[in-house]
This record gives sequence, structure tokens and C-alpha cells, in this order.
Amino acid sequence: MFGKIAAFEFRYQIKSPIFWVVAIIFFLLTFGSVAIDQITIGGGGNIHKNAPFAIAQTHLILSIFYMFVTTAFVANVIVRDDETGFGPILRTTRIRKADYLYGRFTGAFIAAALSFLAVPAAILLGSIMPWLDKETLGPLTLEPFLFAYFVLALPALLLTSALFFCLATVTRSLMWTYVGVIALLVLWIIAGIALDKPQFDKPAALWEPFGTAAFGLATKYWTAAERNTLVPALEGVLLYNRLFSLALSAGFLALSYALFRFQAGAQSGRKARRDRLATIAAADAPPPALVRLPKPRFDAAAARGQLMARTRLDMAQVFGSPAYAVLLFIGLANALGGLWFAAEDTGYGGAIYPVTRVLIPTLMGTFGLIPIIISVYYAGELVWREREKKTHEIIDSTPVPDWAFIAPKTLAISLVLISTLVVSVIAAIGVQASKSYFDFQLGEYLLWYVIPQSVDFILLAALAVFFQVLSPHKFIGWGLMVLYLVTTITFNNLGFEHNLYNYGGVTGVPLSDMNGQGQFWIGATWFRVYWSAFALMLLVLGYALWRRGTETRLWPRVRRLPRRLTGKAGATIAAAAIVFVGSGGWIFYNTNVLNAYRTNLQDEAWQADLEKTLIGYVDTPRPKIISMTLDVDVYPEEPRLMTRGSYVVENRTTQPLKEIHVAFDRDLKVSALNIQGGRSTKTYDRFNYRIFALDTPMLPGERRTITFTTERSQKGFRNRGNETRVVGNGTFVNNIEFAPVLGMERQGFLQDRAKRRKYGLPVEQRMPKLGDGPSRQFNYLRHDADFVTADITVSTVADQTPIAPGYKVSETVSNGRRTARFVTESPVMPFFSVQSARYQVSKENYKGVEIAVYYDAKHPWNVERMKTGAKASLDYYQANFSPYQFRQLRFLEFPAYADFAQAFANTMPWSENLGFIADFSDPSKIDMVTYIGAHEIGHQWWAHQVIGADQQGSTSLSETLAQYSALMVMKHMYGEDQIRKFLKFELDRYLRSRGGEVVEELPLYKVENQGYIHYRKGSLVMYRLQREIGEEAVNRALRRLLAQYAFKGAPYPISSDLVAAIRAEAPADKQALITDLFEKITLYDIQTRTVGVKKRADGRFDVTLTVQARKRYADGKGKETEAPLNETLDVGLFTAMPGDKAFASKDVITMVRRPIRSGTQTLTFTVDTAPKYAGVDPYNYLIDRNSDDNVAKAGS
Amino acid sequence: MLIIEDLTHVYPNGTVALDSVDLTVEKGMFGLLGPNGAGKSTLMRTIATLQSPTSGHVRFGDIDVLKDPEALRRTLGYLPQDFGVYPRVSAYDMLDHMAVLKGVSNARDRKETVETLLNQTNLWNVRKKAIAGFSGGMRQRFGIAQALIGDPSLIIVDEPTAGLDPEERNRFLNLLAEIGENVVVILSTHIVEDVSDLCPAMAIICDGKIVAKGAPVDMVGALRGRVWKKTIDKSQLDAYRASHQVISTRLFGGRTVIHIVADNDPGDGFTAVQGDLEDVYFSTLTSHRKAA
Repeated sequence: MFGKIAAFEFRYQIKSPIFWVVAIIFFLLTFGSVAIDQITIGGGGNIHKNAPFAIAQTHLILSIFYMFVTTAFVANVIVRDDETGFGPILRTTRIRKADYLYGRFTGAFIAAALSFLAVPAAILLGSIMPWLDKETLGPLTLEPFLFAYFVLALPALLLTSALFFCLATVTRSLMWTYVGVIALLVLWIIAGIALDKPQFDKPAALWEPFGTAAFGLATKYWTAAERNTLVPALEGVLLYNRLFSLALSAGFLALSYALFRFQAGAQSGRKARRDRLATIAAADAPPPALVRLPKPRFDAAAARGQLMARTRLDMAQVFGSPAYAVLLFIGLANALGGLWFAAEDTGYGGAIYPVTRVLIPTLMGTFGLIPIIISVYYAGELVWREREKKTHEIIDSTPVPDWAFIAPKTLAISLVLISTLVVSVIAAIGVQASKSYFDFQLGEYLLWYVIPQSVDFILLAALAVFFQVLSPHKFIGWGLMVLYLVTTITFNNLGFEHNLYNYGGVTGVPLSDMNGQGQFWIGATWFRVYWSAFALMLLVLGYALWRRGTETRLWPRVRRLPRRLTGKAGATIAAAAIVFVGSGGWIFYNTNVLNAYRTNLQDEAWQADLEKTLIGYVDTPRPKIISMTLDVDVYPEEPRLMTRGSYVVENRTTQPLKEIHVAFDRDLKVSALNIQGGRSTKTYDRFNYRIFALDTPMLPGERRTITFTTERSQKGFRNRGNETRVVGNGTFVNNIEFAPVLGMERQGFLQDRAKRRKYGLPVEQRMPKLGDGPSRQFNYLRHDADFVTADITVSTVADQTPIAPGYKVSETVSNGRRTARFVTESPVMPFFSVQSARYQVSKENYKGVEIAVYYDAKHPWNVERMKTGAKASLDYYQANFSPYQFRQLRFLEFPAYADFAQAFANTMPWSENLGFIADFSDPSKIDMVTYIGAHEIGHQWWAHQVIGADQQGSTSLSETLAQYSALMVMKHMYGEDQIRKFLKFELDRYLRSRGGEVVEELPLYKVENQGYIHYRKGSLVMYRLQREIGEEAVNRALRRLLAQYAFKGAPYPISSDLVAAIRAEAPADKQALITDLFEKITLYDIQTRTVGVKKRADGRFDVTLTVQARKRYADGKGKETEAPLNETLDVGLFTAMPGDKAFASKDVITMVRRPIRSGTQTLTFTVDTAPKYAGVDPYNYLIDRNSDDNVAKAGS
Repeated sequence: MLIIEDLTHVYPNGTVALDSVDLTVEKGMFGLLGPNGAGKSTLMRTIATLQSPTSGHVRFGDIDVLKDPEALRRTLGYLPQDFGVYPRVSAYDMLDHMAVLKGVSNARDRKETVETLLNQTNLWNVRKKAIAGFSGGMRQRFGIAQALIGDPSLIIVDEPTAGLDPEERNRFLNLLAEIGENVVVILSTHIVEDVSDLCPAMAIICDGKIVAKGAPVDMVGALRGRVWKKTIDKSQLDAYRASHQVISTRLFGGRTVIHIVADNDPGDGFTAVQGDLEDVYFSTLTSHRKAA
């Protein structure tokens, strides 16, 4: 019986179109992700397109999204009989419940599982396509496919099948089952975001039933080499998780059996209610005699009434539908989570004030999907509602005008969308209030969020309504919308970026508390006007094509179109067309005439051409700038920035120079350029690159002057990439953006390897090797200068404060403009910023240094903390490194168009996104303000005094040492405990990032400007180093470095100099460690297996630890080789778990150093208190891929 | 007066739903009788402006219905054969909504309209309940209530009694009878009794053609003395079909009763019966089908 039912079900399902449609869609999707560069699911970077890791990821992701499909298969099993009315017949047969349920489930599930084979088939087929770049492919083997399909995908398919089979059994409704699907998906996404923290890795891996977390944990720190070749072993957490998933499926199936009733329960209840109503209704008294009813009137008031009545009814239908409530609930849950974490989780576990500017983009990100779903879904529902509910004949035959169909429906969706957005604002305000932040910027919510988003979503709804009017079925209309949403993504990828032809396309409006919406809203508004006019045309067409009566075919409706477009409809469409064309013309004038229209692809091509054209000049000898004089006029509102400048240059080479090359920023207008004794010989206009011949060659040691005038400005608005540097309030430009560089630098070249290949450029673009001779003549910032002196005059509007590096020697106001002159007092790196904004200033004189914070009046919170941190930093650095070279130290806030802090000479711009809005009401949060400040101040030594030569390892001399400096300030301010939390983040981020390395992971001393190495690993290395050889020894080494290289210019120091200085201060037994830290990629694996505690006769305790330890060296591709471990490491016995919130020094029973070697070993202790936990390297100073098993619980 | 001239409708698949229909309908109840699939609903929908015919004309008073559907809708009450309701909307609210759509924009007028109709159709007690929970009869009464809004002068009711129990049907027909006194009411049905009980005028439609029209009394009169019946065994039926013009067969007490049409007494045990509208209907259909 069972077998026959299952077989029947299977045959039934594979005959249904859904089976084939789904298989084809998933095949194409997967095939595209493998065979077409613009589409990706798993993989990317150094990971082969057919790497086991990519195969697994694709299976995981698609198996989750497959729940929409499995549900269609299995829910159909349940609801089919009731929907078709075949149920009663079936229920009178002798079929047994178990056979019926499980037989059908099995058949449907096998069909679903079979259709999912489209995914591996597509990967297989996709990866043998001849046009694929062979470097992005690995060998094809069967094992990854078997693993991905049977271990990852199949249990997930089974789980969603069982779960939604169960839900369908309970609800007997396809709609409610799908509501459940969406709810699960959203919850899964929210949980994924909320649990994306190292401490949740393991529980999530155990209990996340789809296996993404388990797979993620198993491969967490895998390198590219591992991802390309390995399949994780089916053991431990992964195995447990898979078994859990299967058990859960079995549970749902059992539950379905318990809950399934053969009788159609819902039906009988409805019947009873109907009968009861009928009894109430049936009055015995004969009806009253018929009277004449009031006659209708057909005037404007009636028409208004009809519009309102229809709108009200349609809105009530949306608001009253359970799906709306569910969608809103899901959206709010997601948004609340997002909003909460937006203010909560800002790297290293810090918190920020939930300012409106931060919450709005979060709302758009976390809530934005809901209005999209609402507008698309309800467009279908409302347009088709009359037909589905079979009220269309009644309604269509009433004397309502034709526009009274499409207009109220569009209006209803619009009002629903607006109110939905308002609800999301209330959620955001609720989050602000719950975080005790009461500055509710209602006006900003309205102008920055509700109004523009409403327009955008209404545009979407209008398109959806139009598609529904065209389509012969609701699902086709929805399908067209999905297709449209896909094109919005793909068109951009394919280089069709203009918002003039991407329906609803609008230029982004970045937000800033300092600068509000700036002028960005202007272009955005034009695009919204443009598309609104287009949407209006669509709606009038929709009106003319509306299905009224029984004619549902499109063609007859199209034929009567001209007739229906006479009169007001035609006039409306004509007026809309005029607005559409007019605004379109104005937009085109702005985006393509006043400004250059550029796509990402064109920008890439430009970069590639730049390299192909000018690479030959990279090593051309050049003079070096020794002083700069810049006269910068900022016109914030225009925006425009005029620069008149001059460089004094000197030939510091040993040869006479016959040429000087001058490179300007791509969009900089150069109105004058003179080189003393030089004559312009060649100009590459496209690259803003000029070559001057020197008629009298410049002799070694000779000095000349270069003068130039430039303009950086933007007229009108652009399609994308509007000017964010010179802005109304918060101008922040660096000298590269307005003053020339002498000669060609590599910085502007394409980085991405795949793109380099695509443009026929050599894939490897590597730095000169460590120890390379010629590159020692240059620092890594720029090749055309060493340390320089600068004299910068900045003028701006009178109510703004102009700032540039150097000591302010004068400030005057005249003609509504404020002019200030800044002169450097000691040599600086030629890396300047110019700023202008309406600043509040907090100044304080500290030991001869004026510490100042220039901030926006809205963000006063952390100004004192910044100053305190600056004092502590100055104290530590001056005491341990060398004197501070300036009399001033300035932090300046700049708008959130960028998210960094940067160190220029005595001037440190700092994004309003970082630090200025940090919230320290919870004192346990890591003090990121002090940390970032200390890092940037550290750069006044490590970059502005000592800077690395432009070769491998250069950034270890600046970034790594700035990290070390900041860590030491923090350690002395907060104690080691805070640093441990911080290092845990650094460890996790280092290990994660190295898995995503595209080129080659290098040891620290050969770092090629890789952030995860010079920052993350740098912190870990330097912290361990100072623990092992002592902070004072490290500082002695750094002083030695400063004494030798500070302000010296070429030849610049290299990382070997740093390592040598450290070695000189370290004892002999630490030399091997220094090699491991700096010159190798060293990974430890320390595991405390058991902790035995035995009470002795004397009342003390014998403690025995079984520890397994190993050390491995990795190569640049992540391949590991075993290395003998023989080091002295911390061993600790505790009464609480280190890292727990309550953990404190009183919980440490003993902490000693013991030799640890490779392999398993036993450590014994005798102590007075029984430990609850014990382990080796308990505070995670080592780079250990599994840092959670260093400490074990006693008795385990 | 509703005048239909040469109305033809051919569906895209080639089905001829209406074939040169000519019909004139005066004030009062008019019954349109025909088997399922005869084209009744197509005709009703065409008159109700929901469908454009392939060719032909429909006029109602001064209104050219096909050219100016809007004008007809202003004076039309339509109860479709099969209609649904919005979920979660009460009878009162839905009637009120329909009143707005029908142009009863004045709030007082609308209140009067809705309350009168709810009383009229015996739905007052359940006015606040969602229509979705109504029984078939209640739903039909609601349907007629909405059709009466705005005092229409043309009312079309398409198969209103199908599926109603006898009591419900009775109540419904009483209501219709009352309305039919002042306006044109077209009642389309496949149930002969509906017409014979109510309509002073009627037409029979079959395969898209009007095959008979007139007053039921006259039509029954024309058949007087020509209908005969006999009770036979089921096995004999084919033989009788071959030899006589059998218009209907029905079982009675396990035996088959046949009606035939014959101008003279066929003998052979046939007895004369008083012909009724049902005999008219069946004989018309039979002879039409023979002809076809």
C-alpha cells in the first residue's frame, strides 16, 4: 500500500509543471553562478568556482531557498484533496492514515530531492564551459558533490519538507504554510545576523538545523588551499548537527501524523456557522412592501465618494489580511533587531548613540524588503481580488468610471506603504527611546526616509500594478516583477547603470549629521520626478487596458487602447510625457553633459588603460618635493575648491633629470602649470598626466620651482559618485585630490586579479621584495617627496573654520571669507588634509601641546574622552619613544561619507561615524575612542617620524607599531583584561580574513599592505612579544629605530631593521620566537583534554592536566607543515572561566609558566583550592585556530 | 423596453454562444429558459455590459448599450449567476459600499437604501455579520438587495434559484415578483417552475438561438391536447423513442413515465395529460435538437 501510494505520488509530482519549472530555474541559477562572472552564489576570490567549498556553499544556500519549493511539493499533498473536493471520496476508502500520509510525503519528497539534482548537475556542467578562465577552476571530483548533496542539502530538504508538511497539516492552507515559510526564512536571517559573533559559533553550529553554521564552523579559518581541496570530515559538531536535523525532521513527521485528521474539520465548522446565521436571518414576518429607493446621482461628489470608498475597501483588504500582519511583524522583528545591533555592535563590541542618521540606513536595509514584498504582492492581490473573490461581475456592472479601478487600488497600496514606513519609523524611535536617546528627529525621519522611500516604493507598486494589468494571471505578473528586480541588479553588473533607463533608479543620498542631505537630494529628486511621471503614464495605460467585464485577453484590450486614451486620459498621459521628457532632458544635461557619465565598467577600463599607457613611467627618475606652498580656496556650497600652489623640488638622484612628470587627480581641472625651465612635451588628457622636458637638465642637488593652479568642482548632479569631499558643511580633501604628484605611482592601478586578467594585465602586481635596494629611496606614501615643509593658506566662508596641518600663524576675515595660514614647524610627510566646517572647538593646553577637538555641535559626547586619551597617548609615547614633534594635536570631525580616521601631521580627521557618537554609558564596553585616538597619535611617530621604504613589510613599521602603541596606552589605562577582549576580536578577524586572502598570505615582516596582517596579526604579534621579552625591551628597540631613522628621509628603514632592533633587545632564548612571530606564519593548536582534581590527605589538591599541543607553519597559500613546539607557555588554574563576564583576578588560583612541547603531555600541580577550570594559554595570546579549547572544565 | 437585435457572440475557441439573437423585452418579469450551456449567461453578461458581442445591437430605452455601457450601468441592477464576496466585510458595509458605487452618494439616502433593502431581504438580523459566512439563500438575497440599489429600471438575475432549498426559493421568488411590477426584470434560469410561477413573458434559448418566445399561457395553450403519457418498463424506452416523439421521461415508483407529443391520440395505452410549461420546454428542446 505504502509503496504504491508513494509511487503514485511521485509520478503525480513529476508530471506537474512545478517540478520542471523549478528544476529549470534552479539549474539556470546555479549554472549562471558558475559560468557567468556577474552572478555568484558561493566561492569568489581565490576559491575555485568548482571548489568543494563553493559546491558546498551553493548547495547550502540553495537548499534553504528550496524551502519554497519543497513546501509546494509537500503542502500540496495535504491541501490538494480539500481544494479539489476529492477528499471526501478518498476518505471513504480503506486507506490507512500512515500509508496515506507517509506514502504521499515520501513520493513528494523524492520528487523534490530529485529536482534538486539540477543544482549539482548545473555546477558540473557549468564548470566545463569552454569560456571559463581556467585559473578559476579546480579538478572535478565526485566526493564534494556527494558530500554537498547528501550531507548538506538532503537533510535540509527533508527538514523543510517535514516542517512545512506539518504546518500544512495544521493549517490546511497553502497561504498560511507560505506565511510560515517566509517567517522561518526571516527568522533564520535575523538569527544569522544576531548570532554572528565568535562566542555564538559553537551553539549556532550545533543547533542551526540547515547546517550553514555547522559547515561555517568546520571551515571557519580555512585557507584558500583548504577550501579548494577539502571536504570537512563528517564528525563532531557537523555530524551532531546533521543528526539533529534528521531527528527534527522525524519529529515533525511524527507530529504531522498526530495532528492529521482524516475528516475535513474546517469545513464542518463553517457549515455550522452558516446554518446558525441562516436561523437568525430567517424572520417569520413577511418582508415589508417594496418602496421606491432613492435615485442615484452622478456628479463630482459621487465620483469622489466612489474613489474614497474603493480606496478604503482595498486598504481594509490589505490591512485586514493575515499576510499583511505577518509581513509587518516579520519586518518589524527584523528591523528592531537590526536597529538594536546598529547601535550595539560597531566592531570590538562597542556601542554608539542611536542617532537618526545611523538608524535610517539600517531601516532601509533591514525593513526595506517588506515594502518591496508588499508593493509587489498586494499589487497582484488587489488587481486580481475582484476576479478571485468573484465579485467582479457585480462591481464591473456598477456605474463607476473606469479609472475608479486602477486609481483606488494604486492609492490603497500607496497609503499602505506609507503607513508601513511610518510604523517602521515608530519602531526606530522606540529603539532610540529604549536606549535612552530622546532626540527624535521627526523632520529628518520624514525628509530622509518616509518621503523618498514612499516615492520609491509607490513607483515599484505602480509598475507591479501595470504588469498585473498586462498579465493573464497573477503569478505571471509577480514573475515579471521578480524579473524586473533581477534586472535592477544585473543591469548594474553589466554596465547599464544609468538611472534614466533603470526603472525607479535614483542616485543615492548619503546622510550626515554635519551636512544633512547636502546637495545630493537635488539629483535624487529629479530622478524621482522623472520616474513618477513615467509611472503615471503606466497607470494611465493600465487604466486603458483594465479588464472590465469578461474580456481578459490582452490583445482585444490593446486594440481598444487608442479609443480609451482620448479625452482626459490622453491629456494626462501627454502631460506626464512632457514632465517625463522634460525632467529626463534636464537629468541628461546634468549627468551626461555637465558631468561625465561613467559606469563601473568604464572606470575599470580607464584604470586598465591608465596602467597600459603609463606603466612605463613608474620607475622614471623624478625630483623630490622639499617644500610646498598651497593656497586653497574652499567654496563649500558650489561645490568648488581652487588651489594655487607651488612646490620646490630637488634632484636627489645621482643623475641629471631631463624630464618631470606631473600627474593630477582624474577630474581635477588644471588651469596653469609651470615648471622652472620646463616645456610641456606630452599631455595624456584622458589620464590628466603631463610630461615636461627640461631644456637644461636638472643636476643632482639642483632645486627648481613648480607652480600650478587647479580647480576641483562639480556642476549640477551626477548619475552616481557625486562629490562627497567638498561639501556644504564638512569639506575634507587630501592633497592628492587637489595638488599634483610628480610621476606615475602604482596606487591607481586595478587590484582585483580576475579583472586584471580580463583586461589582459599581468595578474601579479607585487611590491618590491624585502631588502630590495632601489626602493629604499622611497617611502611607501609617495615617491616624489621625503619629509617636507609646508605653508598652507586655506580660505573658506566666514562661518566655517578652515584647517590644514601645521601651526596656525594668522587668521583674518574679510568679504565674507575666513582665511587662515598654517606653517609646519618640523618636517612632515607630504600627506595633508584641508578641512572646512562649522566646528565647535574644545582646546586645552597640556604640557606645552595644544590639544584640540573640532567637532559638530550635535556630537559633544566624547570630546573630553578624546582629549583624555590624547594626553595619555602623548605621555606614554613621549616617555617611551621620543618627544612629540609638534606644538599642536588636533582631532577633526568629518561627515560620514567615509568611515575612517586618518593621521596627517598634527591633524587627525575622524569620521563622525566613529568615536564621536560612541556611547560609553556601559562601562564594560571597550573604549574604542581612546584606542582609535591613540592609534592615530601613534602615527605621529610611526609614519610621520619613521616610515617604511616602499617594499614588502613597509606597513609593519607604521600600522603595526601604531597598533602596538595604542595597545600599550590601553593596557596602562584599563589593565590587561580589556586588552584580552580586544585581542580576541583581533584573533578572530585575522583568522577569518586569511581564509579570504586572494594573493598570498605573507609573514608580518613581508606584509604587502594587507590590513588583516599589519593591523590584526600585528596586534597579536606585538602583544605577545612584549609579554615574552618585556614592554621595556620592545620600547628600547623602538627608541633605537627612532634614533636611527626619524625624519631622515631616504634611504628609508625596512621591516628587517625593526626585527633586528627587537632581536638586539631580546634574550637568546626568544630569538626563535621572534622568527615565528615576524618571519613565519605560525599557528598553534593547544587543547586541554582533561583536568583531574584529587583531594589529598593534607587537604590540598593534586591537579593533573592532559594537554595536547602542536605548532604548524603555513605557507602563503595556507598549506601547513608540522613544526616542533617547545616553548614556555602560561598555564592557569581558575575557579571561573576566563573570558566570562564575571571573571576577575580573584578567580585565578595560580598562573605559572611551564614548558610545553608537541604532542600529549601531563602537567601536575598541587594547590590549596580546587580549580573549576584549568588550561594552557588561557588568555589566548597565541594564534590558535580553536581558541575555545585551551581551557577545560575540571573533572572532564 | 429592452431590444436585442441580431446579437451574435463567438468565443475565441470557435464556440458560438449566441447566434443571431433577436428579443424584445417589455416591462415586467421576463423568463429566459434554457439548458446549461445554452448561452443564457453570455446573453445576460452582454446585456449587463460585461461582454462585448461579436456583432449585433442591444438597446434599452434610449440607451445604445454597446456604445454607451456607462449609461446603462446607471440604471442597471445585476445579480450574476455565480458571485463571491470580499472576506471580512459585513452585509451592511458591503451594501453601503455598493450604494456608493451605484451613485447613491448622499449619506442619508444611502442609509435609507441600505436599511430598507436589508429589511426587504430579511437580512436585518445579520447585517453586521460577514457575508462570507452566509448560506446560499442568504447570499442570493444579499445579491438581489445589491441589485435593487438605486432604483434600477433594468434588473438582470442570472440563475438565482440554483442550489436554493424550496423554502429559500419561494421567498426569493416572492421578492422578485414584487419587484417585477414596475421595471424590466430578466430572469434567466434552467428551472421551468421559476418561469411558470413568475413570468408573464418568456423565451427559450438553446444552442445560442432563441427557439421559442411568448407568454407561457399561450405556449401551454398551443400544446393543449397534444401531450400524452404512458407508464412503461425501462427496457421498452428505446422502442418508444423510435416510434414516438418522446419529450420527457421520468421515473415514478421504479417505472418509467414518458410524455410524448402527438397531434392525435396515439392509443397503445397512452392517456392525455394537461400540458404544462415543462412540456412546452421539453418539446421545444426536442424539436430543436431534432432539427439541428
